[in-house]
Amino acid sequence: MTKNIVLSILLIALFVFPLVVLFFYALSPGWRYPDLWPTALRLDSLRYVASQRAKLSLSLLSSFQYSLITVLCTFCMCLLPASVFARVEFRGKRILESLALAPALVPAITFSVGIHYFFIKIGAADRLIGIVAVLTIFSYPYMLRSLVAGFLAYGAEYDLCARNLGASLLMRVFRVDIPLLLPSIVAGSTVVFLVAFSEYFLVFLIGGGTVPSYTGYLFPFLNSSERSIASLLTIIFMVIPISLFFTIDRVLEHAYHRWGMTT
Amino acid sequence: MTSRSVILLKLSPLLVPFTVIFTTGVFLTILQSLGLFMPIPFEGRLFSSYAALFRGSWFYVNLGFSLYCAFVSAVLSVVLGTFLSYVIWRLPPGMQKLSVVSKVPLILPHIAVAFIVLMFFARTGYVSSVLNHLGMIESSSDFPAILFGGNGLGIILAYVYKETPFVMLLVTFMLKKYDHRQIETARMLGATKRTTFFRIVLPFLLPVINTSFIILFLYSFGAFDIPFMIGESHPSMLSIQVYNLYFKRDLINRPQAMAILVVMFAFSLVFIYLYSRIAQRIDIRFRKI
Amino acid sequence: MKKNAMVLLFAAVLLSFLFLAGGKGGEETDWLALDFVEIEDAARSTTISWYMWGGSAVINEWVDSYVGGELKRRYAITLDRVPMDASIFVNKLLTEKQAGKERGTMDLLWINGENFKNAMEAGLLFGPFSEKLPNFLRYVDEDTVAYDFGYPTRGYEAPYGRAQFVFEYDRARMEEPPDTFKKLLDWVEKNPGRFIYPQPPDFTGSAFIRQALYAVTGGHEQYMHGFDQSLFELNVVRLWDYLNRMKPYLWQEGKSYPKDVATLDTLFARGEVDLNMTYHQAHAQNSILSGLYPDTVRSFVMKDGSIYNTHFVAIPFNAPNKAGALVTANLLLSVEAQAFKNDPENWGDFTVLDMGRLSEEERAVFESIVLGEAVLGLDVLSKYAVAEIPSPYLEALEAGWEEEVLRKQP
Repeated sequence: MTKNIVLSILLIALFVFPLVVLFFYALSPGWRYPDLWPTALRLDSLRYVASQRAKLSLSLLSSFQYSLITVLCTFCMCLLPASVFARVEFRGKRILESLALAPALVPAITFSVGIHYFFIKIGAADRLIGIVAVLTIFSYPYMLRSLVAGFLAYGAEYDLCARNLGASLLMRVFRVDIPLLLPSIVAGSTVVFLVAFSEYFLVFLIGGGTVPSYTGYLFPFLNSSERSIASLLTIIFMVIPISLFFTIDRVLEHAYHRWGMTT
Repeated sequence: MTSRSVILLKLSPLLVPFTVIFTTGVFLTILQSLGLFMPIPFEGRLFSSYAALFRGSWFYVNLGFSLYCAFVSAVLSVVLGTFLSYVIWRLPPGMQKLSVVSKVPLILPHIAVAFIVLMFFARTGYVSSVLNHLGMIESSSDFPAILFGGNGLGIILAYVYKETPFVMLLVTFMLKKYDHRQIETARMLGATKRTTFFRIVLPFLLPVINTSFIILFLYSFGAFDIPFMIGESHPSMLSIQVYNLYFKRDLINRPQAMAILVVMFAFSLVFIYLYSRIAQRIDIRFRKI
Repeated sequence: MKKNAMVLLFAAVLLSFLFLAGGKGGEETDWLALDFVEIEDAARSTTISWYMWGGSAVINEWVDSYVGGELKRRYAITLDRVPMDASIFVNKLLTEKQAGKERGTMDLLWINGENFKNAMEAGLLFGPFSEKLPNFLRYVDEDTVAYDFGYPTRGYEAPYGRAQFVFEYDRARMEEPPDTFKKLLDWVEKNPGRFIYPQPPDFTGSAFIRQALYAVTGGHEQYMHGFDQSLFELNVVRLWDYLNRMKPYLWQEGKSYPKDVATLDTLFARGEVDLNMTYHQAHAQNSILSGLYPDTVRSFVMKDGSIYNTHFVAIPFNAPNKAGALVTANLLLSVEAQAFKNDPENWGDFTVLDMGRLSEEERAVFESIVLGEAVLGLDVLSKYAVAEIPSPYLEALEAGWEEEVLRKQP
């Protein structure tokens, strides 16, 4: 029992406490060393952020939008290939699989500059479609890996079984594959969403300021001495993913329960 | 049934964008590293940027430093993440809900994580304030230089903080599919806690652990956001070197920046290949159990 | 099944956003041939995007509320301020030019120094346009803005502010700051670990070593006549000597430098170092007003000379709304805008207007501005002001610093 309590305290200290400190920093630009808590609380940063709320909400929504679209694209892109990678043996599979991971492993600048040029030529730069394309390429490996692991985890027998029982393709996909894949879909989507949502550099380069992004708005502050505003903006940043997470967690719990998949 | 053409067709949603976007981008980078495709005329022979790279000792120092930071942070994240996931998984279901807090660093962008590390571990940071209040140090200069100390500790801390939840996410989802009863059986047969973990659960997790390690190692090797905020001046990460050469210095330096990128890219490919071979061998060995 | 239908609907809605275009109105007219009044008419009710460094909340707020507000009020123009570092948007323009993108997304740029030079050399800017601006012709002394870091501006950029390099110290921690470079070296040696400068090529760090160069090699005039390689090689040794002598006594023993001035700001504000430096002369007052600094902070300059430079705006070759950009550049040079900007409550940036060309009342507006205790007066600043060095020296210095100071083993 005590071990569990110790663990809980450790978890909270590690992951929640920094947020608390951020919160206090947001309210006190003049927090000096070595005060353990700020001596004076001021609302300056709140006032500034409130005055910027139109721009801020626009960028938050925009980030949310392109991140969600990216998730959708990576999913559509990886579903079929993942089933192939998981179930089929063919020559050159290992190499192909490793290569498919490449975009997530190379530094963003490597292909983003080359792509930028290409995108300008085809008119995709500075538009939503360009950003989604780049983010998709940059983050699909996470979705791919996740889906492959998901397919590996339940084997082709389910599919076979369902087919033998007379289920149509659509029925199999929606009633057998997707529910069984759901944990890995969620895992992959979560990672892709977060990668897209918190990406600064790529969005900025390709989107060039015409496609608003929250990270583009946040970054100059993190990079400056305006720590108070930066802390506040960081806290605000987390609202969307947290609410999303929370909702998905709940929905999934409900879904698992209904499908009889509780562990 | 699964002829080559059918396979290719099924793989096309992935292969087509991949070739069109990714390979084109890389190709253009390679071209620029050779001095071609430059917006201003390039004076120098085809491989002169590479020559300048390999001749300068700074390149090797920075390369070594990047590898070191990436390796240490990836190993620590994987170990810590697996350990935490397992321990949380063994908790009673009520307390498991607490683990949701571990997702916080996942949500934060890398730059925000760097910001937090700065806030806590700078000489005038929070940890230093605590130590000061406890009477363990007199002034900020007595606090050890964790960040900016020349050993990459700040970068490693930030990466570990950001990457551990990533490992936890993957491992937890694997564990969700795992059968508790295997553990109970093992225990009933007399296995200790340690044996249970290492010989029953770990092999099951190994594929995910391997994948995470590759991803994290290579990502932190080339990533830019965190070293940009808490990186050291010298040695510095290669990605920062590229940024400086490409964005902040004269246009003449672009081919050199591209050359560094090409080297990093080649390294990543080689590493992926070698690692997958080794991992596969271990995999097979474990699957035999 | 209903759930799936909802998912599909949701996806369809999202995908429809993919086809949102991002164009702006306007065609390619020869703006330079028109009267300014016609330009103003064309610019009414349009949107302009101003790309600039976004790391100062004070400046951001001034641009958003004052400039944005005035543009809206006078011309119904919507101002979109985009935070982006100059070196990055120059790169972007370069790639766009290479790819033949005739219609870009940036209308106005805050640019100067080597970024301006790079942009000019690659043919990225529209112009020459400064002579088209009525306020420029009326109020600005052309000679003062003919060169930007030694590179001729030729009307391709219009000025809008002036900044001077100052240092800051906390009166509560230090009685008398070291106000020459020689005194600085002595002070640093006696107080190890309490001083540092940002790492070049950060703009401020680079400016610091430029000032040091002037101080240890006998002044700035010798460098004002174009790039002289032999002179540089002869003199720069003394600079490296000076910096290397200082190195072991710096914060972190010179092994690590803050990557930019913002990081240094935080070190100073948190009390980790005792001196700060900035290219923004009213920074101390701003920071006191926003609560970042205690009110005992003061600015000072080096008696060996404190460099100043001018902020400029320029228009990219592919700006979609050149009329709007011209109107904005003109507005920035109006007396009201310059005076408002000069007030430390709003920014504290100096004016580029020639006081001799203003009327009595206009001059009075400037004279009534209260600078605040933490800021040095214009008289002190002009006394020690020296011009910036031509950019080829700058690049040589930045490259050399890495080799000769950063990487040098003692």
